[in-house]
Amino acid sequence: MLWDKQDRLKPDLAIIIAVAVLLVYGLMAVYSATQSANPIIQNNFGKQFIWMLVGIIVASTIMLIPFKFFYDQAYLFYAVAIFLLILVLIIGGGTGVKRWFYIGPLRLQPSEFAKLATLFALAKYASGQQRDMNNLRDLAIAFLIVLVPTLLIIKEPDLGTALVIMAIVLPVLFWAGLSLFTVFVLLAPLIVMVSAFTFTSFFIAMVTITAVMILSGRGPRVIIPNFLLNIFVGIMTPMLWGNLHAYQRSRILTFLGIEKDPQGLGYQVLQSKVAIGSGGLWGKGWTEGTQTQLRFLPEQHTDFIFSVVGEEFGLFGVIVILLAFLVILWRALNIAADSKNAFAGLVVVGSVVILAFHVLVNSGMTVGVMPVTGLPMPFLSYGGSAMLTNMVIIGLILNAGIRKFNYV
Amino acid sequence: MRSVQGFGRHKLLIFRILLILSFAGLISRFAYVQLIESERYTRESEKNRIRPITLEPPRGIIRDRYREILVDNLPAYSVFAIPRELTRRDTVFAALAKIINRQPASLEKIFRRDRRGPFQRVKIARHIGFQALAHIEENKLELPGIVYGVDPRRYYPAGVRAPHLFGYLGEIDEKKLAQMREHGYERGDVIGKTGIEYIYESVLRGKKGFRFVEVDALGREVTVLSGLGEKPAVPGKELHLAIDAELQRHLERIMEDKRGGAVLINTDNGEIIALASKPDYDPEIFTKPISSKVWNALRDNPDKPLYDRMVRSHVEPGSTYKLVLAIAALEEGIIDGSETVYCPGAYRLGRRVFKCWKKGGHGTVNLLQAIEGSCNVYFYRLIQKVGLENWVKYSRKFNFGKTTGSDLYSEFPGLVPDAAYFDRKYGKGKWSKGLLLNLSVGQGDLLVTPLQMATFAMYIANRGLGFRPHVRKRIVDPVTGDEEYAIPDTVRIEGISERTWDIIHKGMFNVVNAPGGTAKGANPGRVHVAGKTGTAQNPHGEDHAWFIGFVPYEQPQIAFCVFVENGGSGGGVAAPIIRSVLRLLLRQNKILIPQTVVAEE
Repeated sequence: MLWDKQDRLKPDLAIIIAVAVLLVYGLMAVYSATQSANPIIQNNFGKQFIWMLVGIIVASTIMLIPFKFFYDQAYLFYAVAIFLLILVLIIGGGTGVKRWFYIGPLRLQPSEFAKLATLFALAKYASGQQRDMNNLRDLAIAFLIVLVPTLLIIKEPDLGTALVIMAIVLPVLFWAGLSLFTVFVLLAPLIVMVSAFTFTSFFIAMVTITAVMILSGRGPRVIIPNFLLNIFVGIMTPMLWGNLHAYQRSRILTFLGIEKDPQGLGYQVLQSKVAIGSGGLWGKGWTEGTQTQLRFLPEQHTDFIFSVVGEEFGLFGVIVILLAFLVILWRALNIAADSKNAFAGLVVVGSVVILAFHVLVNSGMTVGVMPVTGLPMPFLSYGGSAMLTNMVIIGLILNAGIRKFNYV
Repeated sequence: MRSVQGFGRHKLLIFRILLILSFAGLISRFAYVQLIESERYTRESEKNRIRPITLEPPRGIIRDRYREILVDNLPAYSVFAIPRELTRRDTVFAALAKIINRQPASLEKIFRRDRRGPFQRVKIARHIGFQALAHIEENKLELPGIVYGVDPRRYYPAGVRAPHLFGYLGEIDEKKLAQMREHGYERGDVIGKTGIEYIYESVLRGKKGFRFVEVDALGREVTVLSGLGEKPAVPGKELHLAIDAELQRHLERIMEDKRGGAVLINTDNGEIIALASKPDYDPEIFTKPISSKVWNALRDNPDKPLYDRMVRSHVEPGSTYKLVLAIAALEEGIIDGSETVYCPGAYRLGRRVFKCWKKGGHGTVNLLQAIEGSCNVYFYRLIQKVGLENWVKYSRKFNFGKTTGSDLYSEFPGLVPDAAYFDRKYGKGKWSKGLLLNLSVGQGDLLVTPLQMATFAMYIANRGLGFRPHVRKRIVDPVTGDEEYAIPDTVRIEGISERTWDIIHKGMFNVVNAPGGTAKGANPGRVHVAGKTGTAQNPHGEDHAWFIGFVPYEQPQIAFCVFVENGGSGGGVAAPIIRSVLRLLLRQNKILIPQTVVAEE
């Protein structure tokens, strides 16, 4: 049976409407971004439309599969994903990178699949009967589950997707019971690392971290080692950094998306800001954006699709889209909180993180507050693989919503 | 699976707070950029006046086998509108319409149909006159948003008309655009519609390029910018045809007052060296916008000049087709050629009388004499022995009933009727032997094209070896000078004995060279021609005249077919055309005279 009697096929209407709004905006933006002028980019509207239809079918199908299936197969999916990630490093194609399998006209990206498979495996592990996330061994294994695919994806290299997978860990484990204090302890060295380059920022960071630890009421046996560790990290980071060759440093900065202009990224962001800024409150009108139509925007139908929205639909369009995303994320969190099935709840939380990460990083990039990492905007950017993954995610969220009173 | 009991609501609260904070931050950033900084960025965007301009590649020119230019490009001008700059459309279109002599409404219609974004130029009129061009230039200020550009058209400097061969160009239509978009075609692009312009579109077209230009506030180009990734256009490749322009001109001239056509094929490789279909029309007509008056006159002309008779005439081959029956009879061992038949001038089958074309009859004839004199009675009798099945088998063997696979536009396959066909047409078993007798002399339901008959002549000339007929000789890259030749596809007719070929060749030799031959008028002197005439009866008027064959007899180099609609007899009308053509070729030493013939002289 696809679902039990007590389930009523009542998917969350607010989420469906919000997704529909995004898809309509996305199609309009892709149409505008690819319709004219440059002979290099042809009209991708038709393809995107077909991907959208396929995506809707996929989302509907995913919605009907009992969650137990994903639970039971989670580790199998994970194993397949790891296998594919290794395989793509050996036989994958792409110029200078190994991210895709080419099967006829199709280009498959195993990291998209790995994203979801890792989430399933992590959720299954964390929702296990005997697990305690505050136990060091269980915590380490949970991290390991995420670390393996992350490293393989970094090797491709596909930093954007690797960051998305890493971003899942703490929120999911926190939801599964990891204490807020442990989350803080885990984040502290990262904060220190970033702040360690000037003495003032390092000092402020250390004071804050130590204060929080003392206020948390933990004893010196916890506080002192942590304090020493963070001091150590803070001193070592600039030293190690100084020992690196210039090209290594540059590579890391580019890798992190911090360094401006390795290939004219600064120019891209500037043109994107010009597009969005000149759009004003109401925008220049559909297909009337000068930046878009004259192709000043880089990758305007993929990574920078949101700049097209900003230019042609203005702040109004931007807010409609961001609110639509907020509705999806908000409702999804409610579903996760209501879900009687811990595994489903964790999968939904992970899905929320994946979507939110894409939205924040992508739209932030277009106005220069986030690095250019090449993460597409869900439902808006042109691209089949991403469309399918996002539709699967929506299917999972709706699925959990329908079955939130089920224990299995 | 473990279930969550008494879920800690504080976690949800933390997630909600993070979500709200990050989205609020994001929206305020956008609000800052789009409201407070909007003015600054709007100024910036107005400074972005770099426009990509498409560079059209020159279309490949077409030459003959000796590299004489047959089809060239001539500069012509088209008018474009830039939507963004076209602020007063009504008045501008009204003024422009007056200058270029169009209706403002039609300009408006084209503009609306083809408008794609504010900066895409819309081609609203093609090939305007120089007078109009000067007017537009003078009134530039009254015509904001209107620009003109070079948009070359074809012209035909060689005096070779051959409009069916060349075909013509036109603006791509919506259906084609949908298919070709991924090959870089855009609305308003010109594409080959028929003929070799269509068949060799991908060769002739070249590749579009683009470059970036800076424009002023009115959208006029100020400077060309380099270093922004410009890409020059790649010119289309030259297509060199196997056509011999001099021969072609001569052929067109002598066929001028005829309805029909002629084709000559190089038997060494299947090259079509001349090809005429008459009546035709001046190919220049289609290089300019064509008025409906001219078009209707062409379309409704009873002589059908638009129709390519070489590949689209579906006609009965007449007596030329007796050769197929003769080969079938010899190969199936039904006759050995020495048997004789008495021809009294008619043949009676049941209550019907089938006439021979020669009123007094041929007397007693064997196979060779029957071919030479084209005796119908001989073949009436022969097909009854051979039977429909064998006749169909050999017709198919020679690839009748299907296209020759040439690179000519829209070839028809013709029709070889078989028992199933007759059953369908007349009802099972309801058709008589009389149909068979008609087929024996190339009449009845049998349909061929002149190109098929010329190809058939090539198979005979080469004793079974043929080539896919083609007009392409070489493709030349105008930039590098690289020349590209294609190896001709061979088509071998298997299983016909040398003896059979000898008899057929001899028979065809006699048609032109023996005292009783039907095509003595084809003899140009200096070389021996072998051929077969045909005079196909036609219920709608005079007979259709046919003449097929090859030359020189001893060492074939050229196979030919002449077809004249309602021309009369093959020997009387079609054969002299071949004589005239061969005389020209001999004068120019383009036929190698075989040693044996030289010795005879």
